[in-house]
Amino acid sequence: MRPDEPGVHAPGSATEAGRGHDRPGPRAGADDRPGPSTDPTLNEAYRPMSSRGNSLPWKLLSLTLALALVVSLWTGHRGGQTDRTQGGLAGSISIGLKLPPGNLDIRNQSGTALDQLLIGNVYEGLVARDSDNKVIPGLAKDWEVSADGLEYTFHLNRGMRFSNGHPLDAADVVWSLRELMDRHYQGSEMLRNYRSIDQVGATTVRLRLTRPYQHLLWELSGRAGLVFDHRASYDMKTQAQGSGPYLVETFRPNDSVILKADPHYWGPRKAKTGTIRIRYLADDNAAVNALRSGDVQVLAPITANLAGPFRSDPSFHVQAGDDTDKFVLAMNGKGGATSDIRVRQAIRYAIDHKQLIASRGGADKALGGPIPPLDPGYEDLTGLFPHDPGRARRLLAQAGYGPGRPLRLRLTYANTYGAELGDQLRSQLKAVGIDLDIRMVEFSVWLQDVHANKDYDLSLVDHGESHDFYQWATPTYYYNYDSAKVRQLYDQAMDTVSRERSRDLLAKAARQVSEDAAADWLFNYRITTAWHQGLEGFPVNLNQSLLPLADLTYRKA
Amino acid sequence: MNPGEQGGRRLGSRPPLPGRLGFWGRTRVVLGSMWHRAAGRYSLIVLALWVLVSLVSRFWTPVSIWSTDGYQIWQTPSRGHLLGTDGTGADILSWLMAGSATNLVMSLLAVLLSAILGLGLVMAMVSPHAGISQTVVVLVDALISLPTVLLALILAVPLGPSMAVVIVACGFGYGLNLARIVRPQALLVAGSDYVQSARHSGVGAFRIFFTHLVPNIIPVLCVQLSMSAGTSVLAESGLTYLGVGVPSGLPSWGHSLTTSVKFINVFPLTVLWPGLVVTMVVVALNLFGDALRDAIDPVTNPELRAAVAGAGRAVPRSKGMDGPADSAGSAHSISRCGLTAHAECADRPGPADGDDQANGDNRSVRMDADHPGQGGRSCL
Amino acid sequence: MTMARFLLRRLALFILALVAVSVLVFAALRILPGDVASVMAGLNAPPERVTALRQRLGLDRSYPRQYLDWANGLMHGDLGRSLLTDRPVAAQVGERAQVTFPLILCGLAIALVLGIPLGCASALARSPRMQAFSHMAAIVGGAVPALWSGLLFIMLFSKGAGLIGLLPSQGFPVQGWDQPGQALQSLLLPALSTGIIVGAGIMRYTRSLLGDMLSSGYVDMGMACGMTRTQAALRIGLRVASPQLVSVVGLTMAEMITGVMVSENLFALPGLGSMLIADVGNRDLLAVQSELLLLAAFFLLLGLLVDIVHRLIDPRLRDGTRREVAA
Repeated sequence: MRPDEPGVHAPGSATEAGRGHDRPGPRAGADDRPGPSTDPTLNEAYRPMSSRGNSLPWKLLSLTLALALVVSLWTGHRGGQTDRTQGGLAGSISIGLKLPPGNLDIRNQSGTALDQLLIGNVYEGLVARDSDNKVIPGLAKDWEVSADGLEYTFHLNRGMRFSNGHPLDAADVVWSLRELMDRHYQGSEMLRNYRSIDQVGATTVRLRLTRPYQHLLWELSGRAGLVFDHRASYDMKTQAQGSGPYLVETFRPNDSVILKADPHYWGPRKAKTGTIRIRYLADDNAAVNALRSGDVQVLAPITANLAGPFRSDPSFHVQAGDDTDKFVLAMNGKGGATSDIRVRQAIRYAIDHKQLIASRGGADKALGGPIPPLDPGYEDLTGLFPHDPGRARRLLAQAGYGPGRPLRLRLTYANTYGAELGDQLRSQLKAVGIDLDIRMVEFSVWLQDVHANKDYDLSLVDHGESHDFYQWATPTYYYNYDSAKVRQLYDQAMDTVSRERSRDLLAKAARQVSEDAAADWLFNYRITTAWHQGLEGFPVNLNQSLLPLADLTYRKA
Repeated sequence: MNPGEQGGRRLGSRPPLPGRLGFWGRTRVVLGSMWHRAAGRYSLIVLALWVLVSLVSRFWTPVSIWSTDGYQIWQTPSRGHLLGTDGTGADILSWLMAGSATNLVMSLLAVLLSAILGLGLVMAMVSPHAGISQTVVVLVDALISLPTVLLALILAVPLGPSMAVVIVACGFGYGLNLARIVRPQALLVAGSDYVQSARHSGVGAFRIFFTHLVPNIIPVLCVQLSMSAGTSVLAESGLTYLGVGVPSGLPSWGHSLTTSVKFINVFPLTVLWPGLVVTMVVVALNLFGDALRDAIDPVTNPELRAAVAGAGRAVPRSKGMDGPADSAGSAHSISRCGLTAHAECADRPGPADGDDQANGDNRSVRMDADHPGQGGRSCL
Repeated sequence: MTMARFLLRRLALFILALVAVSVLVFAALRILPGDVASVMAGLNAPPERVTALRQRLGLDRSYPRQYLDWANGLMHGDLGRSLLTDRPVAAQVGERAQVTFPLILCGLAIALVLGIPLGCASALARSPRMQAFSHMAAIVGGAVPALWSGLLFIMLFSKGAGLIGLLPSQGFPVQGWDQPGQALQSLLLPALSTGIIVGAGIMRYTRSLLGDMLSSGYVDMGMACGMTRTQAALRIGLRVASPQLVSVVGLTMAEMITGVMVSENLFALPGLGSMLIADVGNRDLLAVQSELLLLAAFFLLLGLLVDIVHRLIDPRLRDGTRREVAA
C-alpha cells in the first residue's frame, strides 16, 4: 500500500481499459446497492468476484493437457500391440542401426551405410557374398574363368525381374557395367584391368580384362557388380528400384527407412517378413533404450560397454561378429618426424593394444597388420610389435628425441570415433615421452586436410572395407607409404590366377607393411549385435556392410 | 530477483561518496553483509571454491587428467578415485577440477563481452540523438530473438568447436539482453537533473556515462551479469553436447557431462557428478547476483549505510529498509519520491490528454514493460 | 513514434537483419574446409570423380555467383535443393519441423502451466518459509542443464530403462502425426525436460512481476474495491502484467531452441536440430545455409510478432504514443 505516492494511482484505468469500455458489466443493482467505494466511477468498474473470467483459460489449458496426456497414454498402449502376426511370426520387425545414409544414390554416394541397406535387399549384383566374405552366386547362377584369367563368362538365372515388372536380362547387366565404367561411379576404381563387357546370349555375358585380376569376383559382389534397370527412370537419391527381395517404401534421410517385401520377387529366397523398419539411432543411449523397450528388436552395433546388462538378461541375445573394420593409426610417411622408421616403430611399441581393447568392452580383436582375418592373406602379426615402452623409449632416443628434445605429434581424426581413443593414445604415448596434440575434426575436414592434402602426423580412421590392401600399394594414398617391394608383391598377388599363391603373396606384403611400421593397427573392430529372443536370421558377421534381411523372422515369446 | 525493484524503487541509488570508505573497506562490508544471509553465504562459498579449485587445478589434480587405464574404466568411487573413473579410466574428480578452470575463464570472458556490448548499446540508447538511440533500440529488439544456439551453430561452422564459439555466442546474446533490461533505468538517469546539468556544463558523453550512469545501474548489472555467467555455464554444457562447444581434449564440465551421458544406463553414477557441479555453480551464480545487489546498495543494506556513516560522513541513519531519508546525504542520489519527480521531468510534455496522473502511470509501466527480464535467457 | 512508423521501421530492420544473416551464413559456410563432393565420393575416390561431382553439383561457380543464385532463389520462394538428398530444402525442413515445433509448443505449455500458477502462488505466499522455498525451487529448477533433466526423466519414466515404464524414451513414430497418440507420447518426456527448466524461469519472472504488482497501486485499488489480496493480484495484477509476460514468453520460446536441440539428440527425435548438425557434418552447404536462414527468419519474425502483440494487447500503448526520453 503506497497511498502517498504520486503518479501511481490511475483509478481503474488499467482494468477498465483491459475489458474494453463498451462491454456491459454486470450492472444489476449497481445503483441501489452501496458499492465498495464512495467514488461512483470506481463502483462502476467494480464487478463481483463470482465471475472468474481470468482463470478460465488456465482451466481450459490444463484440462486439454490432462486430456491429451490420458489420450496419448491410452492410444500409445494400444498402438504398441497392433503388430499383425501370421502364424506366430511378426509381420513387421524394427531394427536399429547406427550410420544413416544421407541419400540412396548408391552409384555416387560413398559409405558402407548404403551397401548395408541396399545390396542384397533392394539391389542385387552379378555375384553375392556370404557371411564369411566368400563369393557366392547372385544374379549369375554360375560362371567360368578362362585359364589365363582374362575372360569371365557369367550365366544368368532365367526369369529374373525388377520390382517394377521389367525383366532383368543380360542387356541390363551389360548396360550397368558400362555405365559404371564410363561415368566413374562408386566401385569403378575397383574393377582393375577392365577391358569390356559384352552380351553373348539372352542370359550370358562375358567380361574381359587386360590382365588377370584376382579380386575381380569379390569386387563384383559389391557395388561394382550391381545391376540396374536400364529402362527405368527414377530419382536415385530418394528412390531405389532393384531386383531384390525388398522395396524401399519410405526413406527419411538420416532417420529411418521402411522396407516392404516384394511379393513378386523372382528368386527362391523370398523375404520372410513383410515389413522391416530400419531406424538409425545415432545416440548410443537412445539406441540401447530402444532395444530395451522393444521399439527395435535388434540393434547393431551396440557399444560393447553397454551390452553388459543385455548379456545377463535371458530375454536378449548378444553376440559379436567378425568384421573387416581396421582401426588404422596412420603415420604420415613423409611427415616431419614420422618419416623416420624408428619413430614409427617406437609408436607401435608404445601402444598397449590389449588395454585399448579392454577399455572398449573386450569384443575387438588385436590386429598386427593391414589384413583382417576375413580377408585373403591374413596372418597373425600381433607378435611383431608387442607392447614394450622401454624399447619405444630406446628407439626414440636413437632417433634423437629425449627429455631435452621432446617429440610432439599431432593426431587428427574425425569426431565420429569419440574422444576416448585419442585420450588413451595420448596417455600411452606420454609414457614414452611423446606429446600427442589431438585435433578432432569433422569427417569432411578430415577428408580435406588428411585425405586430400596429406597434412598430418598421425591420423585415426576405421577402414571398414574388405580387400583394401591396394591402399598400401598406392604411393599417392594419404598414408604416403611407398615401398617398391610391397607394390611388386601386390601386383603379383593380383596377377596370379592361383588363389593360394595370391594369398601367400598378400601375406608377405602385409608382413612387410607391418614391419615398416607404416601405421599401427589398433584393433580389428568386431561389431556387437544384440537382439530379443525369438528373432532369427539376422546376420552377425560383416553386418555393417552386408546385411541381407530376407531370412529375418521374429516370433514373439 | 525482482526486476520491478531494479526498475523502480531502487533506482538511482548512487552510493554516497564511495571514496570515503575506500574500495577495500567497502568490499569488506559488502562481503560481510552477504555472508550474513544464507543465500549470500552459499554463493560466496561455492564461488570461492570454484576460483580456488580452478587455480589449484592448473598445478595439481589428484590424478593427472591425461593418465588413462583401459582396465579401470567406469570404476565406482574408491580411495584412488574419489568420484570414480570415466570411459578411458581417467579420474573424474580431476577432470571436473580441470574443467572448472575452463568454465571459469569461459564464463568470465562471456560476461566481459556481454558487459562491453551491453554497455555500449546502452550508451547508444541514451544518446541525445534520437536517430541513433531509436535505431539501436529497434535493432536490439530485432536481434534479441536470435537464439544463442543458432549463433553458435553459425560460428562453429568455420571455427569448429571451440571456446571462442561459446564465448562469442553467449556474450552476444547476453549483451543484447543486458541492454534491453538496463535501458529503462538508464533512460531515467539520463533524463535526470544532474545529468542534464552536467551535459550543459559541457561534460563529455563518455564521462557522463561512466560517472553518472554506470554507478546507477550497477545493481541491475550485478544481477544480470552474474545470471549471464550462470547461463553461460549451462550453455556450455548444452553446446558441447551438441558438438559445437568445447572441443574434446579440453576439460570442461560440459565435456564430462557429454562423455558420461552415453553410459547412463550402465554407470549412472558417473553422470551425477558433472551435473551436480553445474547445478550447484549455476545456483550460486544466480543467488550471488541478488545477494550482491542487495549488499552493494546502501538503500537496501543498512550495514553498508552504517559503515559509511561510521567512516565519518554525516549520513542520517534510518532503521527502515528504504526510508526516504536514506539518500538525503548525497546530492546525486535520487530519493524514491524524487524519482518520480525526475522521471516526470524527463518525460517530455505528453500529448494533451490532460490527465497527469494517468500519464505518469503510463510511463512507469512502460519502463517495466521494456525489459523482458530474467525469463529470457535462462532456459538452456 | 506512431504505430505505423514503428511497424515500418521494425519491418525494415527485420529485412535488413535477414540480409545480414544471409551474408553471414553464406560467408561462414565458405570459410570452412571440405565440401560435399568429397564427402559423397568418400575414401577411395580418385580425384577425377570428386571434380566431376563438384561440377555436377555446381560447386565450381564463383562465390558471388553462388550467393546471387541462392538469393535469387530465395526471392522467388525457392530455398534450393539439398545437394546430398536432392530433396527441396523446404520439404526437408517442413518434415523436421513437424517434430521440433510441437516439441517447443509442448515444452512451452508445460512451462506455462507450471510457471505461472506456481509463480503466482509464490508471490502470494505469506509465510517467509514458503516464499524462500518456492524461490529456491525456481532457482534450482532453472539451474539444471537440459541434458541432465532429460537423463533424469529417462531414468524415471522411460519404457524399458526407467523405474516406472510409462513413456517412450526415444524416437518418433515413423508415421508421424498420423498416429497422434504415439507422436504426442514420444514428445512428452523431452518436452517435460525442457519445459520444467523454462517453467522455473517463467515462475521466477511471474513471481517478481506479481510481487511488483502487489506493491503497486493497481492491487491496492482492487483491494479498496473489495477484492481480497489474492483476487486483486490475480485479476488485476496478472492482467496488467500480461503484456510483459507475452514478451517474456516470446523470447523464452526463442531461447528454448537450445534445450530442444539437446533433447532431440538425447531422445533421438528426427527434428530440426539433428538435421542441422548432420547437414553441417556432411557439408551440404546449400541445405545448411537455407536451413539456418529459415530458422533465423523464424526467430526474427517471432521477435517482431511479440513486439506487435505487446503493443496491441497493452491498452496503455494502444494510443500509439511511445515516450522516449530524448532531452
